[in-house]
Amino acid sequence: MFKALLSSIAALAIALPCSSTLAQDIVFGASVQLTGPVANTGRYYRDAYQLAVDKINAAGGVKIGGQSRKLALKIYDNQSDVNLSVRQYTQLVSQDKVNLLLGPFASNFALADSAVSEKYEVPMVQGGGASDQIFARGFKYIFGTLAPASNYFGSTIDMLKSLKPAPQSVALLFADDAFDVSVAEGTRPKLKQAGLNVVMDERYSTNATDFNSLLSQIKSKNVDVVLVAGHETEILNFIRQAKSLTVSPKFYSFTVGVPSEDFRKALGKDADYAFGMTAWLPSATQKDRWFGDGQKFADDYKAKFGYEPDYHAASGAADVEALVEAVEKAGSVDPKKVRDALAGIKFDSLYGPISFDAHGQIDLPQTVIQVQEGTVTAIYGESGFIKQPKYPMPPWSAR
Amino acid sequence: MDLFAQVLVNGILLGGLYAVMALGLALVWGVLNIVNLAHGAFIMLGAYVSWYLYTGAHIDPFLGLPISAFVLFVLGYALQRGLLNLVVRAPMFNTLLITFGLEVVLTYLAQIAFSADFRTINPPYAGNSWQLGPVTVPVVRFAAFVVAIVLTIGMWIFLLRTRLGRAIRATAQNLVAARLYGVEPRHLYAMTFGLGLALAGAAGGLYGTVSQINPYIGGTLTAKSFAISIIGGLDNPLGVIVGGLFLGVVESLTKLYIGPTYGDVASFGILLLVLIVRPSGLLGRTA
Repeated sequence: MFKALLSSIAALAIALPCSSTLAQDIVFGASVQLTGPVANTGRYYRDAYQLAVDKINAAGGVKIGGQSRKLALKIYDNQSDVNLSVRQYTQLVSQDKVNLLLGPFASNFALADSAVSEKYEVPMVQGGGASDQIFARGFKYIFGTLAPASNYFGSTIDMLKSLKPAPQSVALLFADDAFDVSVAEGTRPKLKQAGLNVVMDERYSTNATDFNSLLSQIKSKNVDVVLVAGHETEILNFIRQAKSLTVSPKFYSFTVGVPSEDFRKALGKDADYAFGMTAWLPSATQKDRWFGDGQKFADDYKAKFGYEPDYHAASGAADVEALVEAVEKAGSVDPKKVRDALAGIKFDSLYGPISFDAHGQIDLPQTVIQVQEGTVTAIYGESGFIKQPKYPMPPWSAR
Repeated sequence: MDLFAQVLVNGILLGGLYAVMALGLALVWGVLNIVNLAHGAFIMLGAYVSWYLYTGAHIDPFLGLPISAFVLFVLGYALQRGLLNLVVRAPMFNTLLITFGLEVVLTYLAQIAFSADFRTINPPYAGNSWQLGPVTVPVVRFAAFVVAIVLTIGMWIFLLRTRLGRAIRATAQNLVAARLYGVEPRHLYAMTFGLGLALAGAAGGLYGTVSQINPYIGGTLTAKSFAISIIGGLDNPLGVIVGGLFLGVVESLTKLYIGPTYGDVASFGILLLVLIVRPSGLLGRTA
């Protein structure tokens, strides 16, 4: 009796996914932070995936061997919990039998979740993890569309060399997670090369709310340049506390926050003069097969979701496009064939030119940006200055 | 030396904020024997109330504190009457479960109602500061510190001198005797929980003015408040302020001299030490 019951359950479990109506659709699965502390950034991925899938379906879907097939999305909410996201990816692959995987947000998630794609040999294209660690393990099924973490401050340091008055001393602060540690490791040698004097090199706890001790040190050492690799909540607190302790270095720059709309809204005028970087700013020069160009993507996105996309969203949309290109190139949804196609892919997208190096990571230059009178302004790119930076930052009392 | 003085002042001011956050938790814990795991979530709600008052009705966050405290008081009274009184004399595990559940529900509802966007209460004077010799004193942090002291002393006098305060203490000490003297425990419990939440509401307004608000700030605030309550002891609101100040100063100095990642190590290390050496808190009665 018991045995019969067991086998009927097993039969049911096998039968269920097959009986679903998704047989004709190509299903992309992802586990994204829809609730929890990083839901604020996680939503970019959900929304971008959805927008890209809808757009591609509206244009007729994906062509495989002369036949058009629609895309479908299966997204789970991982509640900003890494362990849950690993379980959900396992479920997506082993039970839901999705065809291919899209990524979560954030490096620590991508780091853990890529182990699932590697184990089941299903390619994952992720646009949320930039840490070099993700690609340093010789995994074959993980591809990333965020510019490498180690180079986040690369363009900023290039720019620092040509600023007048020339900055002398630097404080490098970073949170203790995979992404920010990678940023710091990549930044240190670049600072040394640029001849800057690193007077503070401090790691702080993720989710720290109190920066008064660090800020007091920055003030007492009279540091010219402050580079912070952290999370939006930390950076909000950092800037607010800098103001209340009247700490105003000549220059400060942050890995996240500056490109996001709600960050600037939360800080109001205090967001001014903050530098950051982005690998993507919407432009009509980024030609795209589905959206037309990067600017049109941004307009569509804003119209549909009511807020501006930033590089996270563009990167997420590019992930969907990369999978589609690879499926068409492979002429199949077979995970191994798609994986091989991804490795050699090369196309222009709303996000910029997409191609992956031998480790699966993209290489995109970072544009230095600054908040000037409440708007994000591109300051310094590959070919030098785009617009004059507001430098040095005036003291808080003179704003 | 200047740096030391500055960081010491930072720590003291931070400690004041810590104390207001923990005051409500300690009161509810001491009197009702409920460790309110949703305390941080109520601070978060208080912060949102202040945020809406400031951005919607342009009410200064400090003037808005009584309103936010009152809103949370009503919520607390209703919750205790309708929900928590059911388990108040059950084993502690049940109250832990129910407040944990409340925390999850409140956080989730907050995300639906307020979205996961970050907010700050940012009045024009939020970044102002005074310069006292080499030390910078942020105005808002100082004001929060003053509010903390006033609330603590007010709470102390209230518990010591007023009829309601005496009834609350009597119930905490000996329920049977208190009932014999005509104390109605259901109402009294609800008043106490309401007061605890009112303090959380005020703490939320202050927190939003010096830091940032999102639906997920609750967990860490609960943990911090918990540690402060234990370090200070539950007998007396003055213990909470001592606990808060002690923790604020130790964390700030640890971050300066040992490293920014060691702040939590220091605070929870002290928590352990206190539990071993003085289980009833720094100012608690020794058995």
